[in-house]
Amino acid sequence: MTSRGTPSRFLQSVLQNGVGRYVCQLKRISLIFSKNGQSSLGAREFIEEGVVDFAQNNPGTVVYVSPQSCRIPKIVAEYLNGNVKEEAITSKTSQQIVELITKLTNQSGLDIIRIRKPVHTDSPSIQGQWHPFTNRPLSIGPIGPQKQQAN
Amino acid sequence: MASGYIVNRGVLTFGIHYQHVCRNVLLTQTREKKRWMKAYTLLMERKLKIEGPPPPKPRAQKPNWDYHAEVQAFSSRLKESFSPELLKTAFVNPCYIQSEQERRQALGVDSEMAALVLGDNIQLHRQGLEFTKSFLSDWCRASFPSLPSMGVVAIVAHLTSHPVVCHVARNLAIEDLTMSAQFPVPDEILHSTFLAVIGALQESSGAERAGLFLRDFLVTQLVGKDLFEMWSVVNPMGLLVEELSKRNMALPEPRLTRSAGASTVLPLYFVGLYSDKKLLAEAPGETILAAEEEAARVALRKLYGYTENRRPCDFSAAEQPRAPGLQSFSSS
Repeated sequence: MTSRGTPSRFLQSVLQNGVGRYVCQLKRISLIFSKNGQSSLGAREFIEEGVVDFAQNNPGTVVYVSPQSCRIPKIVAEYLNGNVKEEAITSKTSQQIVELITKLTNQSGLDIIRIRKPVHTDSPSIQGQWHPFTNRPLSIGPIGPQKQQAN
Repeated sequence: MASGYIVNRGVLTFGIHYQHVCRNVLLTQTREKKRWMKAYTLLMERKLKIEGPPPPKPRAQKPNWDYHAEVQAFSSRLKESFSPELLKTAFVNPCYIQSEQERRQALGVDSEMAALVLGDNIQLHRQGLEFTKSFLSDWCRASFPSLPSMGVVAIVAHLTSHPVVCHVARNLAIEDLTMSAQFPVPDEILHSTFLAVIGALQESSGAERAGLFLRDFLVTQLVGKDLFEMWSVVNPMGLLVEELSKRNMALPEPRLTRSAGASTVLPLYFVGLYSDKKLLAEAPGETILAAEEEAARVALRKLYGYTENRRPCDFSAAEQPRAPGLQSFSSS
């Protein structure tokens, strides 16, 4: 689909995040995996080695680990702005899961859709936005090309 | 659809697969095309259209929830050290205590056996509100020294209004942790919970940390906002005359500086305000009166130092702005 048919948004941050202090936007991460399935092998390895380090390095994120009988192991990430992101980790290795979780931690919860402009500013003009009357001499009468001053 | 059947083991059954859930429960599944599925899904969709979507459930009633861990994560996420009891008290609203007591009475639980030992957040809310108002007024006066007290009051009222505070509270996950009788949490209750959290922070870590918290989360909501969006001034020209007479400057004289398309459907007039033959401000408008009023507003913005191209507020300093003359020292 073209960019007109798919959703898009402007570059923004949740609650002006970096302006004051930086708050990690990931509030909760749940690891759903199976105790016996082959697709959860990477998830089980990650839980053995990496999840405790991750939880200690990110004290602002609550990590839930829930073994269930499921065919596809999942990571459910919840962000401060209310968005919930589910990622399937079927047959991923422990390293890939670590990378995926780092990616999720660094995201803000805003939708991953086309960003219309790569920039945003709240003060677009310092010296004043140009309009057709800027730098013209004051005149009330009809507007025409400026007469060149004789040198 | 899987359902439990008691199976006669003497009969050979083809096409049905059995799965033992436990010794007495047997689930059956068939892998063939399920001819009832389409009718069932259409029926469910029709039911959804009639009844609407199911009501939202609070996060605490969904799986994977540990209140104590969530409260700890809340305080470390914001890089603040709250005292846990104060913070948990700040989230408890009086309506929740009331509804819990009614529920216990309705269930017939003896009030002595299971006493509800929860303090509510009214005291913390009052403290937080008072502190917030005083801190925000001080901050406004320090950053915009020429802004009159009416303007300061208007800005503080805007920052402590329900829409702004609830927007901040929702994006800081305070709604998840709030204990209240209704869900979704009404604005009024979310507002008082946020102020109670500020009160709890002030009691746990002191006024300076609470001030920094307010600066980082409430004051940043001023970014991109114009002064007269928050402060509704009915007569800007009258206010301008007052301001100029206070500063002993000549009264403003409006003059038409530029015009274009006077006889068309979209005329444009630029009116400039001159005080003692010097230009104060110039602004456009569709009619001359509109342009004059807009020029008065632009002049007021310049006088109060609240223009769009002013130097941005300093949020990187690890302490509040102090009045000049006092020595400032860095806090760890």
